[in-house]
Amino acid sequence: MKNEEILTRIKNSIVEGESEKTIDAVNEALKKGVDYKDILNGAIIKGAIKVGELYEQEEYFLADMLMAGDALNAAMNILKDSFIEISEGASKGSILIGTVEGDIHDIGKSLIVSLLNGQAFDVIDLGSDVPPEIFVEKAKEFKPDVIGLSGLLTMSISKMHETILLLRKEEIPSKIIIGGGVVSKNSCAMIGADDCAKDGWVGIKKINKIISDTKRG
Amino acid sequence: MPYDWTKSVFRFMKTLTGRIRGVDRVPFFAIIDEQFISRIIGITTREILSSPETYANCLIKTAEFIKADTIQIPSAYAGPAEAYAFAEANNKMNSIQWYDYKPLAIKQGEVCKTEEDIEKLEIPEHSKIDLWDTTYKTANIIREKTKFPQAMGLGIWSVVQELRGINAFKDIRKNPDLLLKLCEKIYESQLDSYNDWIEKVGESAIIMYTGYAFNKHMMSFKDAMKYEGQFIKRFQKKINSPFFLHNCGTRPYFREVCNEIDFIAVNGSHPLNIKYWIDFKKDFPKVTIMGANIDVSRELFTGTPQDVEEKVRENIINLAPGGRYIVSPICCLPWGVPIPNVLAIPKAIEKYGQYPIKGAQ
Repeated sequence: MKNEEILTRIKNSIVEGESEKTIDAVNEALKKGVDYKDILNGAIIKGAIKVGELYEQEEYFLADMLMAGDALNAAMNILKDSFIEISEGASKGSILIGTVEGDIHDIGKSLIVSLLNGQAFDVIDLGSDVPPEIFVEKAKEFKPDVIGLSGLLTMSISKMHETILLLRKEEIPSKIIIGGGVVSKNSCAMIGADDCAKDGWVGIKKINKIISDTKRG
Repeated sequence: MPYDWTKSVFRFMKTLTGRIRGVDRVPFFAIIDEQFISRIIGITTREILSSPETYANCLIKTAEFIKADTIQIPSAYAGPAEAYAFAEANNKMNSIQWYDYKPLAIKQGEVCKTEEDIEKLEIPEHSKIDLWDTTYKTANIIREKTKFPQAMGLGIWSVVQELRGINAFKDIRKNPDLLLKLCEKIYESQLDSYNDWIEKVGESAIIMYTGYAFNKHMMSFKDAMKYEGQFIKRFQKKINSPFFLHNCGTRPYFREVCNEIDFIAVNGSHPLNIKYWIDFKKDFPKVTIMGANIDVSRELFTGTPQDVEEKVRENIINLAPGGRYIVSPICCLPWGVPIPNVLAIPKAIEKYGQYPIKGAQ
Protein backbone atom coordinates (compact mmCIF):
# COMPACT_ATOMS: atom_id res chain seq x y z
CA MET A 1 0.00 0.00 0.00
CA LYS A 2 1.33 3.42 -0.90
CA ASN A 3 1.87 6.03 1.79
CA GLU A 4 -0.92 8.16 0.37
CA GLU A 5 -3.42 5.34 0.77
CA ILE A 6 -2.53 4.59 4.36
CA LEU A 7 -2.64 8.28 5.25
CA THR A 8 -6.11 8.48 3.71
CA ARG A 9 -7.13 5.46 5.77
CA ILE A 10 -5.92 7.15 8.96
CA LYS A 11 -7.73 10.35 8.06
CA ASN A 12 -10.97 8.56 7.21
CA SER A 13 -10.97 6.46 10.35
CA ILE A 14 -10.55 9.65 12.41
CA VAL A 15 -13.40 11.34 10.54
CA GLU A 16 -15.57 8.28 11.17
CA GLY A 17 -14.60 8.26 14.84
CA GLU A 18 -13.24 4.73 14.66
CA SER A 19 -10.51 4.61 17.30
CA GLU A 20 -9.51 0.99 16.76
CA LYS A 21 -9.22 1.35 13.00
CA THR A 22 -7.20 4.52 13.57
CA ILE A 23 -4.80 2.73 15.90
CA ASP A 24 -4.35 -0.13 13.41
CA ALA A 25 -3.73 2.25 10.52
CA VAL A 26 -1.24 4.42 12.41
CA ASN A 27 0.69 1.35 13.61
CA GLU A 28 0.73 0.00 10.08
CA ALA A 29 2.02 3.31 8.72
CA LEU A 30 4.82 3.43 11.29
CA LYS A 31 5.73 -0.17 10.53
CA LYS A 32 6.03 0.73 6.86
CA GLY A 33 8.38 3.55 7.79
CA VAL A 34 6.05 6.49 7.07
CA ASP A 35 7.50 9.62 8.67
CA TYR A 36 5.55 10.65 11.77
CA LYS A 37 5.38 14.22 10.48
CA ASP A 38 3.56 12.95 7.40
CA ILE A 39 1.17 11.01 9.61
CA LEU A 40 0.59 14.09 11.72
CA ASN A 41 0.21 16.65 8.95
CA GLY A 42 -1.01 14.43 6.12
CA ALA A 43 -3.62 12.47 8.06
CA ILE A 44 -4.32 13.45 11.65
CA ILE A 45 -4.60 17.20 11.26
CA LYS A 46 -6.42 16.84 7.93
CA GLY A 47 -8.88 14.50 9.70
CA ALA A 48 -9.46 17.03 12.46
CA ILE A 49 -10.09 19.77 9.91
CA LYS A 50 -12.55 17.59 8.00
CA VAL A 51 -14.45 16.82 11.22
CA GLY A 52 -14.72 20.55 11.90
CA GLU A 53 -16.01 21.20 8.40
CA LEU A 54 -18.68 18.54 8.79
CA TYR A 55 -19.69 20.10 12.11
CA GLU A 56 -19.98 23.52 10.50
CA GLN A 57 -22.10 22.00 7.72
CA GLU A 58 -24.38 20.51 10.42
CA GLU A 59 -23.67 17.01 9.20
CA TYR A 60 -21.77 16.29 12.40
CA PHE A 61 -22.89 16.93 15.96
CA LEU A 62 -21.29 16.82 19.36
CA ALA A 63 -21.37 13.01 19.50
CA ASP A 64 -19.47 12.75 16.18
CA MET A 65 -16.95 15.35 17.33
CA LEU A 66 -16.29 13.44 20.53
CA MET A 67 -15.87 10.13 18.72
CA ALA A 68 -13.46 11.76 16.29
CA GLY A 69 -11.68 13.36 19.25
CA ASP A 70 -11.12 9.92 20.78
CA ALA A 71 -9.71 8.63 17.49
CA LEU A 72 -7.45 11.69 17.22
CA ASN A 73 -6.17 11.15 20.72
CA ALA A 74 -5.54 7.48 20.04
CA ALA A 75 -3.46 8.40 17.00
CA MET A 76 -1.53 11.08 18.86
CA ASN A 77 -0.78 8.75 21.76
CA ILE A 78 0.83 6.24 19.40
CA LEU A 79 2.94 8.96 17.82
CA LYS A 80 3.95 10.30 21.20
CA ASP A 81 4.86 6.80 22.39
CA SER A 82 6.89 6.16 19.27
CA PHE A 83 8.65 9.50 19.06
CA ILE A 84 9.33 11.00 22.45
CA GLU A 85 10.49 14.21 20.90
CA ILE A 86 7.25 14.82 19.04
CA SER A 87 5.65 16.89 21.76
CA GLU A 88 8.59 19.25 21.67
CA GLY A 89 9.41 19.08 18.02
CA ALA A 90 5.97 19.25 16.56
CA SER A 91 3.90 21.02 19.20
CA LYS A 92 1.89 23.86 17.70
CA GLY A 93 1.62 25.65 21.01
CA SER A 94 0.52 25.26 24.60
CA ILE A 95 -2.88 25.81 26.14
CA LEU A 96 -3.93 25.92 29.76
CA ILE A 97 -7.62 25.25 30.04
CA GLY A 98 -10.26 24.80 32.71
CA THR A 99 -13.88 25.41 33.65
CA VAL A 100 -14.04 28.37 36.00
CA GLU A 101 -14.81 28.16 39.70
CA GLY A 102 -18.39 27.41 40.59
CA ASP A 103 -19.11 25.65 37.31
CA ILE A 104 -18.64 21.92 37.13
CA HIS A 105 -19.84 21.44 33.58
CA ASP A 106 -17.07 20.01 31.49
CA ILE A 107 -18.58 18.64 28.28
CA GLY A 108 -17.56 21.58 26.07
CA LYS A 109 -14.15 21.85 27.67
CA SER A 110 -13.46 18.12 27.31
CA LEU A 111 -14.32 18.32 23.62
CA ILE A 112 -11.83 21.15 23.12
CA VAL A 113 -9.11 19.31 25.05
CA SER A 114 -9.63 16.21 22.99
CA LEU A 115 -9.49 18.03 19.66
CA LEU A 116 -6.54 20.21 20.65
CA ASN A 117 -4.55 17.17 21.74
CA GLY A 118 -5.35 15.65 18.40
CA GLN A 119 -3.95 18.66 16.60
CA ALA A 120 -0.55 18.50 18.24
CA PHE A 121 -1.08 21.19 20.87
CA ASP A 122 0.23 20.73 24.39
CA VAL A 123 -2.81 20.92 26.59
CA ILE A 124 -2.85 21.29 30.36
CA ASP A 125 -6.38 20.51 31.50
CA LEU A 126 -7.11 21.87 34.97
CA GLY A 127 -10.54 20.23 35.09
CA SER A 128 -13.65 22.00 36.28
CA ASP A 129 -14.52 24.31 39.18
CA VAL A 130 -11.04 25.88 39.00
CA PRO A 131 -10.39 28.88 41.30
CA PRO A 132 -8.68 31.97 39.79
CA GLU A 133 -5.61 31.41 41.98
CA ILE A 134 -5.03 27.98 40.44
CA PHE A 135 -5.18 29.43 36.91
CA VAL A 136 -2.51 31.94 37.97
CA GLU A 137 -0.35 29.34 39.70
CA LYS A 138 -0.45 26.96 36.73
CA ALA A 139 0.06 29.76 34.22
CA LYS A 140 3.25 30.75 36.04
CA GLU A 141 4.37 27.14 36.02
CA PHE A 142 3.59 26.21 32.41
CA LYS A 143 3.77 29.59 30.65
CA PRO A 144 1.07 28.68 28.11
CA ASP A 145 0.54 30.55 24.85
CA VAL A 146 -3.20 30.61 25.47
CA ILE A 147 -5.38 30.30 28.55
CA GLY A 148 -8.90 29.02 27.94
CA LEU A 149 -11.63 29.75 30.46
CA SER A 150 -14.72 27.64 29.95
CA GLY A 151 -18.18 27.94 31.48
CA LEU A 152 -21.71 26.87 30.77
CA LEU A 153 -23.65 28.69 33.43
CA THR A 154 -24.66 32.31 33.01
CA MET A 155 -23.13 32.98 36.40
CA SER A 156 -19.72 31.85 35.08
CA ILE A 157 -19.17 35.12 33.24
CA SER A 158 -18.57 36.90 36.56
CA LYS A 159 -16.05 34.26 37.60
CA MET A 160 -14.30 34.50 34.22
CA HIS A 161 -14.01 38.23 34.85
CA GLU A 162 -12.52 37.66 38.29
CA THR A 163 -10.04 35.12 36.88
CA ILE A 164 -8.95 37.47 34.08
CA LEU A 165 -8.47 40.37 36.52
CA LEU A 166 -6.19 38.19 38.65
CA LEU A 167 -4.25 36.87 35.63
CA ARG A 168 -3.70 40.44 34.41
CA LYS A 169 -2.77 41.66 37.89
CA GLU A 170 -0.16 38.91 38.08
CA GLU A 171 1.10 40.00 34.64
CA ILE A 172 0.51 36.66 32.97
CA PRO A 173 1.30 37.40 29.31
CA SER A 174 -0.76 34.54 27.78
CA LYS A 175 -3.67 35.33 25.50
CA ILE A 176 -7.00 34.59 27.13
CA ILE A 177 -9.96 33.08 25.34
CA ILE A 178 -13.32 32.48 26.99
CA GLY A 179 -15.70 29.81 25.80
CA GLY A 180 -19.23 28.58 26.35
CA GLY A 181 -22.81 29.23 25.38
CA VAL A 182 -23.00 32.27 27.63
CA VAL A 183 -20.19 34.28 26.07
CA SER A 184 -20.61 37.04 23.52
CA LYS A 185 -18.35 39.59 21.85
CA ASN A 186 -19.70 42.23 24.23
CA SER A 187 -19.10 40.22 27.38
CA CYS A 188 -15.67 39.23 26.04
CA ALA A 189 -14.68 42.87 25.62
CA MET A 190 -16.22 43.85 28.92
CA ILE A 191 -14.33 41.33 31.02
CA GLY A 192 -11.03 41.86 29.18
CA ALA A 193 -10.62 38.56 27.33
CA ASP A 194 -8.71 38.52 24.05
CA ASP A 195 -11.30 36.42 22.26
CA CYS A 196 -14.35 34.25 22.74
CA ALA A 197 -15.92 31.14 21.27
CA LYS A 198 -19.46 29.89 21.59
CA ASP A 199 -18.62 26.29 20.89
CA GLY A 200 -15.69 23.90 20.83
CA TRP A 201 -14.94 23.97 17.15
CA VAL A 202 -14.96 27.76 16.96
CA GLY A 203 -12.65 27.68 19.99
CA ILE A 204 -10.17 25.40 18.23
CA LYS A 205 -10.12 27.66 15.16
CA LYS A 206 -9.58 30.76 17.27
CA ILE A 207 -6.83 29.16 19.35
CA ASN A 208 -5.09 28.14 16.12
CA LYS A 209 -5.33 31.71 14.87
CA ILE A 210 -4.18 33.29 18.14
CA ILE A 211 -1.14 31.03 18.26
CA SER A 212 -0.18 31.49 14.61
CA ASP A 213 -0.59 35.29 14.98
CA THR A 214 1.48 35.25 18.17
CA LYS A 215 4.24 33.21 16.56
CA ARG A 216 4.24 35.43 13.46
CA GLY A 217 4.26 38.57 15.57
CA MET B 1 -49.21 48.89 48.78
CA PRO B 2 -49.22 45.06 48.73
CA TYR B 3 -48.08 43.38 45.54
CA ASP B 4 -51.07 42.50 43.39
CA TRP B 5 -50.48 38.83 42.67
CA THR B 6 -54.09 38.35 41.58
CA LYS B 7 -53.46 40.67 38.67
CA SER B 8 -50.15 38.98 37.88
CA VAL B 9 -51.73 35.52 37.82
CA PHE B 10 -54.50 36.77 35.52
CA ARG B 11 -52.02 38.54 33.23
CA PHE B 12 -49.70 35.56 32.95
CA MET B 13 -52.24 32.76 32.59
CA LYS B 14 -54.43 34.67 30.14
CA THR B 15 -51.47 35.63 27.96
CA LEU B 16 -50.08 32.13 28.07
CA THR B 17 -53.35 30.69 26.82
CA GLY B 18 -53.82 33.39 24.20
CA ARG B 19 -56.92 35.00 25.68
CA ILE B 20 -55.81 38.54 26.38
CA ARG B 21 -59.23 40.12 26.74
CA GLY B 22 -59.07 42.11 29.96
CA VAL B 23 -55.28 41.85 30.23
CA ASP B 24 -53.78 45.26 30.99
CA ARG B 25 -50.21 44.71 29.89
CA VAL B 26 -47.57 42.22 28.74
CA PRO B 27 -46.47 39.94 31.63
CA PHE B 28 -42.94 39.50 32.94
CA PHE B 29 -41.61 35.95 33.47
CA ALA B 30 -38.24 35.69 35.21
CA ILE B 31 -36.26 32.57 36.05
CA ILE B 32 -35.08 33.24 39.57
CA ASP B 33 -32.57 30.83 41.04
CA GLU B 34 -30.85 30.54 44.41
CA GLN B 35 -27.99 32.77 43.22
CA PHE B 36 -30.26 35.68 42.45
CA ILE B 37 -32.23 35.17 45.67
CA SER B 38 -28.96 35.20 47.63
CA ARG B 39 -28.07 38.48 46.01
CA ILE B 40 -31.38 40.16 46.74
CA ILE B 41 -32.15 38.68 50.17
CA GLY B 42 -28.56 38.36 51.39
CA ILE B 43 -28.58 34.80 52.72
CA THR B 44 -26.85 31.60 51.65
CA THR B 45 -28.33 28.78 49.58
CA ARG B 46 -28.51 26.48 52.60
CA GLU B 47 -30.39 29.16 54.55
CA ILE B 48 -32.79 29.66 51.64
CA LEU B 49 -33.53 25.93 51.58
CA SER B 50 -33.57 25.58 55.37
CA SER B 51 -37.37 25.51 55.54
CA PRO B 52 -40.27 25.71 53.09
CA GLU B 53 -41.42 28.96 54.73
CA THR B 54 -38.02 30.61 54.26
CA TYR B 55 -37.70 29.29 50.71
CA ALA B 56 -41.19 30.50 49.76
CA ASN B 57 -40.74 33.92 51.37
CA CYS B 58 -37.38 34.42 49.65
CA LEU B 59 -38.87 33.55 46.27
CA ILE B 60 -41.87 35.81 46.75
CA LYS B 61 -39.76 38.75 47.98
CA THR B 62 -37.28 38.40 45.12
CA ALA B 63 -40.02 38.17 42.50
CA GLU B 64 -41.73 41.23 43.98
CA PHE B 65 -38.45 43.14 44.11
CA ILE B 66 -37.96 42.79 40.37
CA LYS B 67 -41.69 43.20 39.73
CA ALA B 68 -42.05 39.81 38.04
CA ASP B 69 -45.50 38.39 37.35
CA THR B 70 -44.42 34.82 38.02
CA ILE B 71 -42.80 32.66 40.67
CA GLN B 72 -41.06 29.46 39.66
CA ILE B 73 -39.42 27.25 42.27
CA PRO B 74 -35.86 26.57 41.03
CA SER B 75 -35.60 23.13 42.65
CA ALA B 76 -38.74 21.96 40.81
CA TYR B 77 -36.79 22.13 37.57
CA ALA B 78 -35.50 18.88 36.10
CA GLY B 79 -31.80 19.47 36.41
CA PRO B 80 -29.62 19.43 39.52
CA ALA B 81 -32.52 18.70 41.90
CA GLU B 82 -33.45 15.57 39.95
CA ALA B 83 -29.78 14.54 39.75
CA TYR B 84 -29.64 15.11 43.51
CA ALA B 85 -32.52 12.64 43.93
CA PHE B 86 -30.66 10.03 41.86
CA ALA B 87 -27.43 10.66 43.79
CA GLU B 88 -29.20 10.15 47.10
CA ALA B 89 -31.06 7.03 45.95
CA ASN B 90 -27.81 5.51 44.70
CA ASN B 91 -25.53 6.48 47.60
CA LYS B 92 -23.52 8.90 45.51
CA MET B 93 -23.94 12.08 47.49
CA ASN B 94 -20.22 12.79 47.10
CA SER B 95 -21.07 13.83 43.53
CA ILE B 96 -23.13 16.74 44.89
CA GLN B 97 -21.45 20.09 45.32
CA TRP B 98 -23.02 22.76 47.51
CA TYR B 99 -22.18 26.43 47.16
CA ASP B 100 -22.89 29.33 49.49
CA TYR B 101 -24.46 31.69 47.02
CA LYS B 102 -25.67 29.63 44.09
CA PRO B 103 -27.58 26.46 43.29
CA LEU B 104 -26.21 23.07 44.22
CA ALA B 105 -24.56 21.26 41.35
CA ILE B 106 -23.62 17.73 40.50
CA LYS B 107 -20.29 16.57 39.09
CA GLN B 108 -21.40 15.58 35.61
CA GLY B 109 -20.99 11.90 34.85
CA GLU B 110 -20.29 10.77 38.41
CA VAL B 111 -23.56 8.98 39.14
CA CYS B 112 -23.51 6.91 35.93
CA LYS B 113 -19.81 6.63 35.31
CA THR B 114 -19.97 3.03 34.08
CA GLU B 115 -22.41 0.93 32.11
CA GLU B 116 -23.02 -1.09 35.25
CA ASP B 117 -24.01 2.12 37.07
CA ILE B 118 -26.79 2.58 34.50
CA GLU B 119 -27.90 -1.06 34.70
CA LYS B 120 -28.10 -0.90 38.49
CA LEU B 121 -29.38 2.67 38.76
CA GLU B 122 -32.12 2.89 41.39
CA ILE B 123 -35.06 5.15 40.66
CA PRO B 124 -35.50 7.66 43.50
CA GLU B 125 -38.60 7.93 45.66
CA HIS B 126 -38.94 11.68 45.71
CA SER B 127 -41.22 11.75 48.74
CA LYS B 128 -38.33 10.42 50.84
CA ILE B 129 -35.88 13.06 49.68
CA ASP B 130 -35.69 16.19 51.83
CA LEU B 131 -34.97 18.58 48.97
CA TRP B 132 -38.07 17.43 47.09
CA ASP B 133 -40.23 17.42 50.20
CA THR B 134 -39.15 21.02 50.82
CA THR B 135 -39.98 21.82 47.18
CA TYR B 136 -43.53 20.44 47.44
CA LYS B 137 -44.19 22.30 50.69
CA THR B 138 -42.74 25.49 49.24
CA ALA B 139 -45.04 25.23 46.24
CA ASN B 140 -48.04 24.99 48.56
CA ILE B 141 -46.99 28.01 50.59
CA ILE B 142 -46.41 30.13 47.49
CA ARG B 143 -49.77 29.15 46.08
CA GLU B 144 -51.46 29.90 49.37
CA LYS B 145 -49.84 33.32 49.68
CA THR B 146 -49.96 34.50 46.07
CA LYS B 147 -52.48 32.21 44.34
CA PHE B 148 -49.83 31.78 41.68
CA PRO B 149 -50.31 28.26 40.25
CA GLN B 150 -47.02 26.44 40.61
CA ALA B 151 -45.42 24.73 37.63
CA MET B 152 -43.82 21.33 37.85
CA GLY B 153 -40.61 20.82 35.86
CA LEU B 154 -39.80 17.82 33.69
CA GLY B 155 -36.94 17.00 31.35
CA ILE B 156 -34.96 13.98 30.21
CA TRP B 157 -31.73 15.14 28.57
CA SER B 158 -31.04 17.78 31.22
CA VAL B 159 -30.82 14.90 33.70
CA VAL B 160 -28.97 12.53 31.33
CA GLN B 161 -26.18 15.10 31.07
CA GLU B 162 -25.94 15.43 34.83
CA LEU B 163 -25.83 11.69 35.47
CA ARG B 164 -23.76 10.45 32.52
CA GLY B 165 -21.76 13.57 31.56
CA ILE B 166 -19.77 13.58 28.36
CA ASN B 167 -20.19 9.83 27.93
CA ALA B 168 -23.87 10.40 27.13
CA PHE B 169 -22.84 11.98 23.84
CA LYS B 170 -20.50 9.11 23.01
CA ASP B 171 -23.31 6.68 23.89
CA ILE B 172 -25.41 8.25 21.11
CA ARG B 173 -23.02 6.63 18.64
CA LYS B 174 -21.47 3.80 20.63
CA ASN B 175 -24.20 2.53 22.88
CA PRO B 176 -27.65 3.88 21.98
CA ASP B 177 -29.53 1.05 23.70
CA LEU B 178 -27.78 1.71 26.99
CA LEU B 179 -28.51 5.42 26.64
CA LEU B 180 -32.18 4.72 26.02
CA LYS B 181 -32.20 2.55 29.13
CA LEU B 182 -30.94 5.55 31.12
CA CYS B 183 -33.58 7.79 29.51
CA GLU B 184 -36.27 5.25 30.48
CA LYS B 185 -35.10 5.28 34.10
CA ILE B 186 -35.15 9.07 34.18
CA TYR B 187 -38.62 9.00 32.64
CA GLU B 188 -39.82 6.66 35.41
CA SER B 189 -38.22 8.91 38.00
CA GLN B 190 -39.89 11.99 36.55
CA LEU B 191 -43.26 10.26 36.69
CA ASP B 192 -42.58 9.51 40.35
CA SER B 193 -41.87 13.17 41.07
CA TYR B 194 -44.91 14.22 39.04
CA ASN B 195 -47.18 11.81 40.95
CA ASP B 196 -45.83 13.15 44.24
CA TRP B 197 -46.51 16.66 43.03
CA ILE B 198 -50.11 15.73 42.22
CA GLU B 199 -50.55 14.14 45.64
CA LYS B 200 -48.88 16.87 47.66
CA VAL B 201 -49.39 20.04 45.65
CA GLY B 202 -52.23 19.22 43.28
CA GLU B 203 -52.60 19.38 39.50
CA SER B 204 -49.79 21.39 37.92
CA ALA B 205 -51.32 24.29 35.98
CA ILE B 206 -48.49 24.05 33.49
CA ILE B 207 -45.44 21.86 32.94
CA MET B 208 -42.10 23.58 32.42
CA TYR B 209 -40.32 21.12 30.15
CA THR B 210 -36.56 21.63 29.99
CA GLY B 211 -35.64 20.27 26.58
CA TYR B 212 -31.90 20.65 26.29
CA ALA B 213 -31.63 18.00 23.59
CA PHE B 214 -33.41 20.35 21.20
CA ASN B 215 -30.30 22.28 20.34
CA LYS B 216 -28.09 21.91 17.28
CA HIS B 217 -25.02 22.17 19.50
CA MET B 218 -26.12 18.97 21.20
CA MET B 219 -27.37 16.59 18.54
CA SER B 220 -29.34 16.13 15.35
CA PHE B 221 -33.07 16.71 15.51
CA LYS B 222 -33.62 13.02 14.84
CA ASP B 223 -31.54 12.10 17.90
CA ALA B 224 -33.26 14.83 19.92
CA MET B 225 -36.61 13.20 19.16
CA LYS B 226 -35.21 9.80 20.07
CA TYR B 227 -33.71 10.80 23.41
CA GLU B 228 -36.14 13.55 24.43
CA GLY B 229 -39.07 14.03 22.06
CA GLN B 230 -40.54 10.54 22.32
CA PHE B 231 -40.58 10.87 26.11
CA ILE B 232 -42.40 14.21 25.93
CA LYS B 233 -45.08 12.55 23.80
CA ARG B 234 -45.38 9.80 26.41
CA PHE B 235 -45.58 12.32 29.25
CA GLN B 236 -48.29 14.19 27.39
CA LYS B 237 -50.40 11.03 27.16
CA LYS B 238 -50.33 10.74 30.94
CA ILE B 239 -50.43 14.41 31.94
CA ASN B 240 -53.28 16.74 31.04
CA SER B 241 -51.54 20.03 31.84
CA PRO B 242 -50.13 22.09 28.96
CA PHE B 243 -46.36 21.98 28.44
CA PHE B 244 -44.06 24.87 27.70
CA LEU B 245 -40.60 24.22 26.31
CA HIS B 246 -37.62 25.86 27.95
CA ASN B 247 -34.37 25.82 26.00
CA CYS B 248 -31.66 28.34 26.78
CA GLY B 249 -29.31 26.98 24.12
CA THR B 250 -27.98 29.15 21.34
CA ARG B 251 -29.14 27.05 18.38
CA PRO B 252 -32.53 25.66 19.41
CA TYR B 253 -34.83 23.52 17.27
CA PHE B 254 -37.93 25.52 18.23
CA ARG B 255 -39.54 25.42 14.80
CA GLU B 256 -38.79 21.75 14.23
CA VAL B 257 -40.05 20.64 17.61
CA CYS B 258 -43.23 22.70 17.43
CA ASN B 259 -44.06 20.88 14.20
CA GLU B 260 -43.83 17.56 16.06
CA ILE B 261 -45.03 18.19 19.60
CA ASP B 262 -47.76 20.38 21.12
CA PHE B 263 -46.37 23.12 23.32
CA ILE B 264 -48.37 26.01 24.66
CA ALA B 265 -45.25 28.17 24.71
CA VAL B 266 -41.56 28.26 23.97
CA ASN B 267 -39.09 29.92 26.33
CA GLY B 268 -35.72 30.86 24.88
CA SER B 269 -33.51 33.74 23.79
CA HIS B 270 -31.95 32.46 20.57
CA PRO B 271 -31.76 33.08 17.68
CA LEU B 272 -31.07 36.71 18.54
CA ASN B 273 -32.53 38.06 15.32
CA ILE B 274 -36.00 39.45 16.03
CA LYS B 275 -37.09 38.46 12.52
CA TYR B 276 -36.86 34.79 13.50
CA TRP B 277 -39.39 35.44 16.26
CA ILE B 278 -41.69 37.53 14.07
CA ASP B 279 -41.77 34.68 11.56
CA PHE B 280 -42.19 32.13 14.35
CA LYS B 281 -45.25 33.99 15.61
CA LYS B 282 -46.75 33.99 12.12
CA ASP B 283 -46.07 30.30 11.56
CA PHE B 284 -47.04 29.12 15.04
CA PRO B 285 -49.86 31.49 16.04
CA LYS B 286 -51.00 29.26 18.91
CA VAL B 287 -47.60 29.02 20.57
CA THR B 288 -46.87 31.78 23.08
CA ILE B 289 -43.38 33.25 22.96
CA MET B 290 -41.74 33.68 26.36
CA GLY B 291 -38.51 35.54 25.93
CA ALA B 292 -37.47 35.97 22.30
CA ASN B 293 -34.12 37.68 22.01
CA ILE B 294 -33.52 39.04 25.51
CA ASP B 295 -30.27 37.37 26.50
CA VAL B 296 -28.69 37.65 29.93
CA SER B 297 -25.14 37.55 28.60
CA ARG B 298 -25.65 40.50 26.30
CA GLU B 299 -27.45 43.77 26.97
CA LEU B 300 -28.49 42.68 30.46
CA PHE B 301 -24.91 41.94 31.42
CA THR B 302 -22.89 44.44 29.43
CA GLY B 303 -25.40 47.14 28.50
CA THR B 304 -27.12 50.01 30.22
CA PRO B 305 -30.72 50.24 31.46
CA GLN B 306 -31.42 52.14 28.22
CA ASP B 307 -30.10 49.21 26.16
CA VAL B 308 -32.35 46.84 28.08
CA GLU B 309 -35.32 49.15 27.64
CA GLU B 310 -34.73 49.26 23.90
CA LYS B 311 -34.47 45.46 23.69
CA VAL B 312 -37.72 44.98 25.63
CA ARG B 313 -39.42 47.62 23.47
CA GLU B 314 -38.26 45.88 20.29
CA ASN B 315 -39.75 42.61 21.47
CA ILE B 316 -43.01 44.12 22.66
CA ILE B 317 -43.82 46.14 19.57
CA ASN B 318 -43.01 43.22 17.29
CA LEU B 319 -44.41 40.29 19.25
CA ALA B 320 -47.01 41.49 21.76
CA PRO B 321 -49.77 42.79 19.46
CA GLY B 322 -52.55 40.23 19.51
CA GLY B 323 -51.14 38.63 22.67
CA ARG B 324 -49.19 35.43 23.21
CA TYR B 325 -46.01 37.25 24.14
CA ILE B 326 -44.40 37.29 27.59
CA VAL B 327 -41.23 39.24 28.32
CA SER B 328 -38.55 36.97 29.72
CA PRO B 329 -34.79 37.29 29.97
CA ILE B 330 -33.03 33.97 29.32
CA CYS B 331 -31.78 32.18 31.34
CA CYS B 332 -31.12 32.62 35.07
CA LEU B 333 -30.04 36.12 36.06
CA PRO B 334 -26.29 35.85 36.71
CA TRP B 335 -24.41 37.33 39.64
CA GLY B 336 -22.78 40.10 37.65
CA VAL B 337 -25.90 41.51 35.97
CA PRO B 338 -26.40 45.06 37.23
CA ILE B 339 -29.62 45.29 39.21
CA PRO B 340 -30.64 48.55 37.44
CA ASN B 341 -30.58 46.55 34.19
CA VAL B 342 -32.92 43.94 35.64
CA LEU B 343 -35.23 46.64 36.97
CA ALA B 344 -35.24 48.25 33.52
CA ILE B 345 -37.33 45.30 32.30
CA PRO B 346 -40.50 46.00 34.32
CA LYS B 347 -40.04 49.73 33.69
CA ALA B 348 -39.95 49.10 29.94
CA ILE B 349 -42.98 46.84 30.16
CA GLU B 350 -44.91 49.59 31.96
CA LYS B 351 -43.86 52.07 29.29
CA TYR B 352 -44.37 50.04 26.12
CA GLY B 353 -46.34 46.96 27.13
CA GLN B 354 -49.80 48.40 27.89
CA TYR B 355 -52.54 47.01 25.68
CA PRO B 356 -53.29 48.10 23.02
CA ILE B 357 -49.61 48.21 22.11
CA LYS B 358 -48.54 51.59 20.77
CA GLY B 359 -46.09 51.76 17.89
CA ALA B 360 -46.78 48.15 16.94
CA GLN B 361 -45.11 46.96 13.75
